[in-house]
Amino acid sequence: MSKPHYDLEHHVKKATGIGDPQCFKGEAGDPRFKVGDKVKIRDLPDVFYTRTQAYTRGCEATVVRLVYETPPAEDEAWDNTENVEWMYSLLFKQKDLWPEYADAFSQDTLETEIPEHWLEPA
Amino acid sequence: MADKHKAAPMVDEVSEFEILEIAVRELAIEKGLFTQEDHNAWTDYMHTLSPVPAARLVAKAWLDPEYKKLAIEDGVKASLEVGIDWVKQMPTQFGTPSDYCNLRVMADTPTLKHVVVCTLCSCYPRPILGQSPEWYRTPNYRRRLVRWPRQVLSEFGLQIPDDVEVRVVDSNQKTRYIVMPERPEGTEGWTEDQLTEIVTRDCLIGVALPKPGKTANDPRPVRKALKPYGH
Amino acid sequence: MSEATRKRVLNHLDYVGLLQPAIHTETHAPSPDEVTNDQYRAYTRPSHDIGGERDVSIQWEEKEEEIWEHNTFVTCEVLAWRGVWNAEERRRRQNVDVGQTQYLGLPYYGRWLLTAALILVDKQFVTLTELHEKIDEVSKRYE
Repeated sequence: MSKPHYDLEHHVKKATGIGDPQCFKGEAGDPRFKVGDKVKIRDLPDVFYTRTQAYTRGCEATVVRLVYETPPAEDEAWDNTENVEWMYSLLFKQKDLWPEYADAFSQDTLETEIPEHWLEPA
Repeated sequence: MADKHKAAPMVDEVSEFEILEIAVRELAIEKGLFTQEDHNAWTDYMHTLSPVPAARLVAKAWLDPEYKKLAIEDGVKASLEVGIDWVKQMPTQFGTPSDYCNLRVMADTPTLKHVVVCTLCSCYPRPILGQSPEWYRTPNYRRRLVRWPRQVLSEFGLQIPDDVEVRVVDSNQKTRYIVMPERPEGTEGWTEDQLTEIVTRDCLIGVALPKPGKTANDPRPVRKALKPYGH
Repeated sequence: MSEATRKRVLNHLDYVGLLQPAIHTETHAPSPDEVTNDQYRAYTRPSHDIGGERDVSIQWEEKEEEIWEHNTFVTCEVLAWRGVWNAEERRRRQNVDVGQTQYLGLPYYGRWLLTAALILVDKQFVTLTELHEKIDEVSKRYE
């Protein structure tokens, strides 16, 4: 029987005076996508955890902003912070997300954030 | 089956939640994980929060096009000018754990209306907007807003014209959002203080629009607490 | 390929929308041949992922905060301040690990609270026996 030893100051040391996600800036390398790119959301498994909503899977979207760098939620949820990725703000057309969405409102959109490993070129 | 409308239990009955809350807090303190002073410091910080800084940010942006540009580009930097430091104002000195440090200000235009939801929990920009309202946390709002936004907005009394684009913002990761509505007619010559008063919490979430003379959220039923916390 | 994914996603949302907390008088742990892949995905889905599920309109309400709710929120933030967990870990535990029945069956801060209790035990800062004894001791203060 042994007890784990947690570094309770891990985040304090990294983020004090800087903030989160700012404290991961520069760790993700070159972004794979740029503003204006069309991407598609991968249909990865979501067993145990994800913050990539089911309703976005398989749908196309446009990159509107590279927002910050961060470990993906699936990793950070178990305090794994080594693999930092770019986070993208994506714009979806509501008509693409929901088949019954009224034609009269085909201009309506939805914006949300998805990390890089969930994306492939459309 | 429990009926949520049945009479509340007697006030002198202690709930399991109250007991567990005390137990957890006391154990954490006994084990040295945090101190009572830490807990008090966070409560003191909570007492400083309200929607007023976010309202002031919007009012300032209405009056100053350069500031508006900054707000849209870098909400955290713009927050400094209304007295909110997303990183260093909290006891942590690294932001609040739950809200992170990335604010985006979503500016409406005559042809674009934003509204915010967090479908996965109830992410909310507490440092600049205070605690979230109960309806914002309900599974109902979170389920429906992303798919039937115009219907949900109409339930809040907002009919969005057919030629306006409704943009739902799903706050799902580390960014927090406020909506910057269009400055309403009838506010020509108003001061920043006057404008701040009409930018209500609901306007900043996106389920209401500012209007001269309207300085409060629409009235809604209030679910009473058994032992209310006095802010 | 994408069309099939979209169809599956929308079907999935309809399916999980039907899951509700229920009190059963007996359990029905099925044999493997009784579980389709759609059912597997519905049962194992992260319980917080509810955007797009069907629901009826309700009355929008404000709510006063209980003292324990305020204290629970503060405890969770201070636990993160002092490095016991990060916010993503907290969100995973209180919004997904709790499972569908607790997720929809307990108050919002009830989940925060149970999760704060469990993190102390899971990370071995307290034993479950200590927690049980503490709950018992606090209960007796109010008898």
